[in-house]
Amino acid sequence: MGSASGEEPVYEVVWPLGRFVTQPLELAPGLTDLNGKTVAELWDWAFRGDQMYSILNEELRKRYPGITILDHKTLGTTHGVSAKKFVADLPELLRAHGCDAVISAVGA
Amino acid sequence: MAAERSGIPAVSIVATPFLALGQAVAKGLGINDPKLAEYPGVPLIDTDSELRDKVVNKLLPQILEGWGKRASTAVTKVEEPSFRDIVFRGTVEEVHKFFYDHLWTDGLPIIPPTVDKVERFLQFTDRAFDEVLGVCQPEYREATVWNVAVNGVMAGCRPEYMPLLIALVEAIVDPAFLIEDAGATPGWEPLITLHGPIIKELDFNYEGGVMRTGRQANTSIGRFLKLYMRNVPGCRIPPGTTDKSSIGYTFNVVLPENEDAVAAMGWQPASVDLGFASGENVVSVRSCISITQPVYTGGSKALNHVQIIAEVIGQSFAYWCWLGIRNLSWYPLIVMCPSVAKAIADDGWTKDDIRKYLYDHVKVPAGLVEKYAHNTSQPDFSLKTLVEQGTIPAEYCESDDPNRLLHVFIKPEWTSIIVAGDPGRNQSRGYVQNQRQGIPVSKRIHLPHDWQAMLTRARES
Repeated sequence: MGSASGEEPVYEVVWPLGRFVTQPLELAPGLTDLNGKTVAELWDWAFRGDQMYSILNEELRKRYPGITILDHKTLGTTHGVSAKKFVADLPELLRAHGCDAVISAVGA
Repeated sequence: MAAERSGIPAVSIVATPFLALGQAVAKGLGINDPKLAEYPGVPLIDTDSELRDKVVNKLLPQILEGWGKRASTAVTKVEEPSFRDIVFRGTVEEVHKFFYDHLWTDGLPIIPPTVDKVERFLQFTDRAFDEVLGVCQPEYREATVWNVAVNGVMAGCRPEYMPLLIALVEAIVDPAFLIEDAGATPGWEPLITLHGPIIKELDFNYEGGVMRTGRQANTSIGRFLKLYMRNVPGCRIPPGTTDKSSIGYTFNVVLPENEDAVAAMGWQPASVDLGFASGENVVSVRSCISITQPVYTGGSKALNHVQIIAEVIGQSFAYWCWLGIRNLSWYPLIVMCPSVAKAIADDGWTKDDIRKYLYDHVKVPAGLVEKYAHNTSQPDFSLKTLVEQGTIPAEYCESDDPNRLLHVFIKPEWTSIIVAGDPGRNQSRGYVQNQRQGIPVSKRIHLPHDWQAMLTRARES
């Protein structure tokens, strides 16, 4: 703290946050033609995701007749007591099912 | 992000008001521009045809583009201040404005965190200033002894509170606490409870008006925790993006137990219920989404008191129990004034007797549980399905009768009872915890080796 005569004290202050320690993550390569590909649907069992997926599946199958869809009941839920374990196990689960793309719903 | 990390392109469906949160969470996980498909509006309010229209015409194109169009968006490390770096010079008002503009404070005035003031806090711990206590989501920032002290200074704490502040942060960075969910829409607040000789040593209020502002220790430490959650995990209301509390309420001051009153009635302090020895300095943090109305009870029979507590406090817990049932995780808290607890104890009841009574007598129709779930977030919530999946015990669906009664208190032993408040009045209140988010986490408070001498000097300064 310092001050000039007759003036208010001046304070030199430090930063209240902590070091940002995340590791940069590159997005996976893109996928344009979904024919012959397998798409996994993940759901947190909330906000009408099941209805959204039902409509999406109709539309995806119309556009890509060769698509395989693993619906939201296949892999498990992304919410609730076992969510952390589910996310930790997800890479292996996706590999085991031969997944090429993922949709996750619903953030609300 | 787990999919992207595995080399599989992923798109997340997010409703409009949560896009900024999704971006902030992704940044914490290492991606600057995550592939989000925006659902415009509020899914639970839309009609079926509106939902279909949005899925086909809004979501689907974004999902396809998200899978197909990709560029490098990994976060890049930016230079950030180190521990003793001076980030600003100015008067009290100028410092406050600088911190406010950077979203580093809550709008109330702060004590400027100078190196000198921070170091005075550090004298009250034997731990290294740069010790990392944990990493906090959603911003993925390190919690350190140093930034505990900085935020303690800002909040108006005294240096001798430092051992307690460190224990508090150890509690919230414990993975079981789920600090990353502190910005969830129910708008839960952390509620700090305190046990042990430190209550008197630091001059906490545990009697009349215990949950009001007005005593420095209770108030400034309550404020500290919210400031810390703003600055290190990064939980900020707008113009921040990570606190999605729909309405919320403001911070709780610290709730210390009246351990003299507890001892006089022959009960053990609540810290013993948590597995600690009587007389240990222990701090606990739990989430709290609401506080019940004050309930007055009279008479010398335990039943007089517990019946009304069950009827009024217990029933006001019923609305939120569906989440506790679904997650099998819910920790209600009842706070009783000493006179109420003494009347119950004098009639021969233990705290376990109270817990069992509440468990046995507070019930809610299953149909209401499902209705509340449907309107909160899960239109297809079904107790029957959860039982069939093996998620919850069979007792939750012994018939299809929507009027069958379910226990509101999921397990008797999950209810905490704390004695505090005006010894001259006969009131109780309930504190509703938010299921698996912010479960009670307790930590011992480690004091520096010459605590008593330091405390004496601090009191004289």
